[in-house]
Parts: sequence; structure tokens; C-alpha cells
Amino acid sequence: MNETEFEKMLMEKALAAGFLDCEIYYQKSRTFGVTILEGEVSDYENSDVQGVCFRGTYADTTGYAYTERLTAHDVDWLIQEAMENAMLLSSEEREILFPPEDSYPLVYTENPSLERLTPEEKIHAAKKMEIAALHGAKEIVSMDYCRLSTVCSETAIVNSYGLCLHHRKNHMLAYVCAIAKDGSDIKTGSHFWKGNRFADFDPIATGKKAAEIAASRLGAKSIPAGNYAAILDGNVMADLLRTFCGIFFAENVQKGFSLLANKTGKKIAAPLVTIEDLPLLENGYASAPFDSEGVACRNKAVIKDGVLQTLLYNRKTAAKDGVASTGNGFKPSVYAPVQTSVTNFYLQRGTVSQTQLLEDMWEGLLIMDITGLHAGANAVSGDFSLSAEGLWIAEGKPSYPVEQITISDNFYTLLEKISAIGNDLYVTPSGVGAPSVYLPTLAVSGQEA
Amino acid sequence: MLKQSTILHTIEAALQTGADFAELYVEQTKSNRLSMLNGKIDTAATSLDYGAGLRLFFGNRMIYAYTNDTTEQHLIQLARETAATIKGNRLHGMAPLQKAVPQSMHPIYIDPDGMAKKRKAEPLASACAAALAFDSRILQARSGFLDVTKDVLVANSEGIWAEDHRVRSRFTIEAVASSATEKQSSHFGPGGSVGFELFSQIDADAIAKKAARIALTMLDAKPCPAGRMPVVIDNGFGGVIFHEACGHGLEATAVARNASVFSDMLGKQIASPLVTAIDDGTIPNAWGSASFDDEGTPTRRNILIENGILRSYLVDRLNARKMGTDVTGNARRENYRFAPTSRMTNTFLAAGNSTPQSIIADTPYGLYAKQMGGGSVDPATGSFNFAVLEAYLIRNGEICEPLRGATLIGKGHEVLLQIDRVGNNLKRAQGMCGSSSGSIPTDVGQPMIRVQEMTVGGREQRK
Repeated sequence: MNETEFEKMLMEKALAAGFLDCEIYYQKSRTFGVTILEGEVSDYENSDVQGVCFRGTYADTTGYAYTERLTAHDVDWLIQEAMENAMLLSSEEREILFPPEDSYPLVYTENPSLERLTPEEKIHAAKKMEIAALHGAKEIVSMDYCRLSTVCSETAIVNSYGLCLHHRKNHMLAYVCAIAKDGSDIKTGSHFWKGNRFADFDPIATGKKAAEIAASRLGAKSIPAGNYAAILDGNVMADLLRTFCGIFFAENVQKGFSLLANKTGKKIAAPLVTIEDLPLLENGYASAPFDSEGVACRNKAVIKDGVLQTLLYNRKTAAKDGVASTGNGFKPSVYAPVQTSVTNFYLQRGTVSQTQLLEDMWEGLLIMDITGLHAGANAVSGDFSLSAEGLWIAEGKPSYPVEQITISDNFYTLLEKISAIGNDLYVTPSGVGAPSVYLPTLAVSGQEA
Repeated sequence: MLKQSTILHTIEAALQTGADFAELYVEQTKSNRLSMLNGKIDTAATSLDYGAGLRLFFGNRMIYAYTNDTTEQHLIQLARETAATIKGNRLHGMAPLQKAVPQSMHPIYIDPDGMAKKRKAEPLASACAAALAFDSRILQARSGFLDVTKDVLVANSEGIWAEDHRVRSRFTIEAVASSATEKQSSHFGPGGSVGFELFSQIDADAIAKKAARIALTMLDAKPCPAGRMPVVIDNGFGGVIFHEACGHGLEATAVARNASVFSDMLGKQIASPLVTAIDDGTIPNAWGSASFDDEGTPTRRNILIENGILRSYLVDRLNARKMGTDVTGNARRENYRFAPTSRMTNTFLAAGNSTPQSIIADTPYGLYAKQMGGGSVDPATGSFNFAVLEAYLIRNGEICEPLRGATLIGKGHEVLLQIDRVGNNLKRAQGMCGSSSGSIPTDVGQPMIRVQEMTVGGREQRK
């Protein structure tokens, strides 16, 4: 049975089985991926997958079920499971389905020309990226990883109130990680490119950058534990922002998992901090015309000049606070219930260059990389303690690379501590962006003082 | 799950591309997820994952294609399309399929997929209540239950035809303690290759109370001092240190392409003589066990390190070719969307002779890491990091004040050599391990150990 027949049968049978209303969320994606090792294709991947997530109102609440197999038998199974799930939930978990909004924004997220690229063209580009990485610095001895993939996905939301939305997007992701060695000292450096205009992809520059990063880390040493002035590079700040963005979700505030209760309209960050959620950004990695509930997306500031403007809402959490959804009701994956997510989530850039920030700091650390975010960061308290690497800055200039240190702070406090912001911008593949930020003091652990 | 003729025709068609090896993997997975906050269920979701993955080898090169459409016609078309860019130059034959019947090593007593969902909510409500009742400062308790029923079929051109029925259940609890200005949380997630009988094997309420106790302790804890010091890591989830510091570096995925600090080290001393490490996918009903791995190879017990000497890597079929060695039954994948590769199953440090009391008593100053959080590693450099969820300062051989926000960092190959005490209290704990073939259930484990010196990260400068 094809997806249209499946959807029609599912909706008819669900309503007949006693669902007050229902929605079908359909997603289909095609992926291509190629990994290059030593100039050859080491693995090659091709796929087409689809899935249907059903939700509907039953017993005064909302039941969910998901399937990747679309047979008549699975229609009955989905309905049965969704009913049983609904009966477990309290009515406060009810999600109100609704007719389409008057209009939806247009967002550019698909480039048809990307679909016309042949596998050979993609393989060729990936090989160029690998060679550039291998020759990008004299210290590069081998490759950790060199991969290029393309994803084309299609999302449709249909409900029994006449909502019928459809959206397509595609992108290419090229990722390269090189290994540099000097004696027994080994370092890796990685870099990526993501986008849907193939002409913008420079495989040589991408590969070379990874090599340069790896080589620049060689010869690193630890520094004594202490409190230091520090500049967090854009990628570090973006990673922190991505890890802690949940503090802005109304769901976490309502359930007591965020410390931002009753803070809307109040100052929670330094006056130079403005953070925006920009779903309508052209070619943004996380751009979307509507969220997973079918609410039209819009751009908004979450923090403006240090003041919390709004929390991020889906329809259910908005109803609890008596406000409108901000269009942030996204599913973490197609099978999961609607939760909350940021889209293109950017800390706004400042006016000074990173070089100028380093000069202003004069002495301290430039933190270039952090790891351990999934374990060393407490999303509830905001505390984090993370393994870090970077550069020691002396007399306003990079002096030597630093490794085997940890940096510890609290995200809520960090927002208040930012005393300067760079004019650079790093955007993670998931769409969270940040410039370099200057912190007058940061707790660092390392070797014995 | 598929007719024998479909399996055979698909593999035969795949071999027509000139591949010297073809494998078909078919999977049907039903998952039920329940999550409860303060006594009310706020998530109840069910999903059915269904699909097939087709893998072809051309020497050391691999092609992988996957789809939800498992009709013979579509599978064959996919095989041909995918292989269009890489062509073998010689046709290989197909060995007759020999169906292997899995031994029932992991019996399930209460099928979690077949039972009423309402019944599954009962222990969750009880655990939430136990955590909340522990102290008035416990303002949130979240409990959850996940059950996964996975049927897999693996067949290949060498004649392997294995089918496995895997059931896993896991209970999770998180307690959040709040003061006027702070929140601290603590969580546990025991599980196994078991059904709903999990709840007769664990004391969910006691675990909930333990989470509440730790969250409260951490609420009152002082920030951890930063610097280098001896670290005592307790048993159970403390084994995550070996998992990250060494386990990932022994996976053939990294070893075969010389991207591990442990490449070319077989037979060499890589750890303190006190260290023996084992990966065992056969432990009855353990979280990381299975009858077959995801390439159809029976799982087995592999000694990785024996008295400090590296004895074995974890090897999958493709990397076995590259390394000229045998498979070890460690090929795993999250689901059909991933090609399998070498991964850990239940990996642990074997018990030693020291009593936990003597290890603490012998430590004049250091960090006692009682509960570890997760961590990560870069296998190419060996650099790892972990969070410590529950920590205490050791002073004059005694456990003193609680410390919070501690992180441990280091390099795996250095830390292994610095283990100077191994306790006699081996215990395993459950985790999800993420790597190139997705997120898979693995057990970590160890007795209490002491590392002579490690870099401890924290917010407080040592006086």
C-alpha cells in the first residue's frame, strides 16, 4: 500500500474507532553517503526510509503511535496502540489539534540542483577534500575520517480539520578529520561544511582547515589550575548554547527543570547579550516554515539586551501559560511526541574581531574546543565541567597550545559574565550559532600549581 | 521474517554486481516508552521500526543500502543501484544457507510487549512516590520504563542464516533536589535483556530513594577542588572509565585504520599488571548480550587485557579482512539504518584482591568518585573525559565531605598504567553507547579501583 492509501485508511478507521480527531505526520528521506580512505571509497551508503506518526484525541487526551511498515494490518495496530497510550495519560497532556492557519511563511530550504549531482561528482569532491587534508600541514600522518553525505527529506502533516502541510529540504554535509603526529604526540583536527549550494562547497579549503587545526594542537601542554581570563571561541560558545538551550523551553520551566520561572521581562544576562531564534533564516541549517504541530514559524528574540523576552512554546505549554505558541513545537525525531526545540538559535554578533578581543585580554586562555557535553553539563542546574583545549595568550597573541585542562562554570552565571562579544560567527550543523565571547574569569583545572 | 526465496534471490542478485560478499539484515523492532513526572504519566509512545539493510563487500570496500520496503523487487533494485559506482571484476558464488537456531541463553519470563501498558505504570508511580517522600527538598521525580522487542534476521553469501529474538527492558529514575537557588539531580537506569520481571530483580523504590539521597547530598556539596590527585573510582558504573579510556580504542573500527593509540600493541603491556579486562556478550540476560551479533556470528567471551597485556581487539567482519584476523562476535548496530561494526557488549575489569575499605584507608588524600556519569573519548589521541555525579574528598584514609561538579580527564593509555589498586567487588551497570553504528545497549563494569594520579576538574581552587 502506498503512503496516500495508508493515510486515508488510517484516518477513516481512527475516527470510526472513536478518536475525536487525528493527525498523521509523515516523513520520508533519501540519503547518500560516501567515506573516503586513502583515496578510495571505503564505504558507500544509499537509503530510502519513511515513517508515519499518528496522534489523535481519545479519552480526552492525546495518544501517539509510530510505524515504518505501511500495511493494512499496521493501520489497526497503530490505532490500538495509540488508544492504549492515550488511556495512560492525564488530560493535562492533551494536545489540541487545529485547522490550518491563514498563511504560512515561505522559507528556502531545498535546492533541486543538489539532487541532480551524480554519485561520481560527490565522490570526486570527497576525494579532493581528503587529499587537501593529507597535504594541509606537514604534520598530518593519516586521516581519521573523510565523509560526504546528502540528505533529502520530505515532511507532510495532515489532520482531520483540513490541515495539509508539506515541506521539503535538502543539504550536503562534508566532514573531515585529520590526524597530526609529532613523535608520540598525536592530535586530531576536524572541520565540516554544510549547505545546499554545491558551488559554495570548497573541498580543498575544508580539508586544509581540518589539517591546520590538527597541526596547531601539537606540542600542547597543561597549565596550572587557577582562575583565568578567557575567550571562548564561537564553536565553544555555540556548543554551550546548544547544550543549555533547554533552559528557555516553557516545558522545562513549567516542570521545574529550568531556573527561568518568572524571569520573563527581567534581566538574566549581560546587557550586550541578544539571543534570537530564527526559523525563517534563508538557508539556515534548521530553517522551517512550520513546526511539527503545523504552527507557522516566526523569528523572535529570546534575550534582547540582556532581558528575557519570551520562553519557547509549543501549543500545549503555551495554553498552560495562556499565551500563543512561538512555533517551537518540534519532534526530536519522527516517532516521538511533540516537544520543544530551537531552530537557528544565534547569539548576536558584536563589533570587535577575535584578534582584537585577544589583544584586549592581553593574558589568558583562548578555549578552542570542549568535549564531554553529554555528561559534564547539568541541564537543570546549569553547572558544567568540561575537558578543554585551546591556546595560551600572552601579550595579546597566541603563545602555545594548551591541553588536558577542564573548564568549569555555570551557564546562567556565564550569560551575566560575558563582557565582550566578537564579530565572528560559528554555526553548528544543528543550527546553533555564536561568536567568540570574553569572560573576565573562568575556573580551570590542570596540572599541579 | 522474510521468505527463504526472497533472502536467497536478494543475495544472489547482490553478488551479480561482482561483490565478493553479500549480507542481508532484516529487523522488526517494537518499542514502548513510558515516562512519569511526579506520579503523572506525561509520555506514552509506541513505535514499530521495520526495515532491511543490504551490505556488499568488494575486497576491503563496503557498500551499505537500507530501506523500509522489503519486497524482493525493491531490495534487488537497491542492490544494483547502490553498486553502480563500485564494480567488482569477478563473480562470486553463493554458499547454501544454513539456518542456525539460537540457543535460548536469555530467557524472558514476562513479555513486556504483550502485557497491558497500565500494569507497566505501577512500579513507576511507586518509584516517583518513594523519591518524593524521601525529603521535602525533592521537588521532582521522573521515572520511566522502556521495553524493546527486536527480531533480527541476518543471512549472507557464506551461508550464514541466523535469527534472533531480543527483548530488553530498562527502568529509569531521576530525582531533582531544590534549594532556594539551586537544583541538583541524580539518576539511575538499571536494565537487562529481560522482560517485565526486571522489577522482581531490582528494588525500584530503593533505587529511587538512592537517587534522591545523592541529589540531596550534592545540593549541599561544595564545589570540587581542581588539580591532580589520586582518584578512587567505585564499582559498577565506574567501569565507564575503562569503556572510554580503553574500550573504544580496542574497537577494530579505529584499530584497522591505525586511528587508535592501541594499534599494533597486541602482546604488549598496555596496562598495570593488576588489570584484566573482558568483553562478554554471552552473559545470561545482561543488557549488552545477544545470542548472535549483528553479522550472525555467535557472541562470545573475549579477554581483551590479561594482567596488563593486550590480548585481543574487538573485531567485525570487514575489519577482520583488513587486519587479517578473526571476528570476535562484536559486530553491532543500532538498527537497520546502520552498517554493523566492532562495538563493545558487556565490558568490564575483572575483580582483584583489595577490599574497598583498604583502598580508601591507603589513600592519604584524593577524590572518591562514587557514582560516575557518562564520558567520551577521541580514540585517535586517547583523550577522555568523564563527569562524576557523586564525589567525596578522601583525607587521611577517610571519606570526608561531598564534592560536586567534578570531572576527570586524561589519556587512556596513561591512566591504564597508573591503576595501582583493584578491588574485589566487581559489579556491572547499564549504559547506552554511541558511536559510528549508532546507539547500542552496553554494560560497563569494574570493582573499585584507584588511579595514582588524574586531572580533576572543578570550580574550586585547591588551598
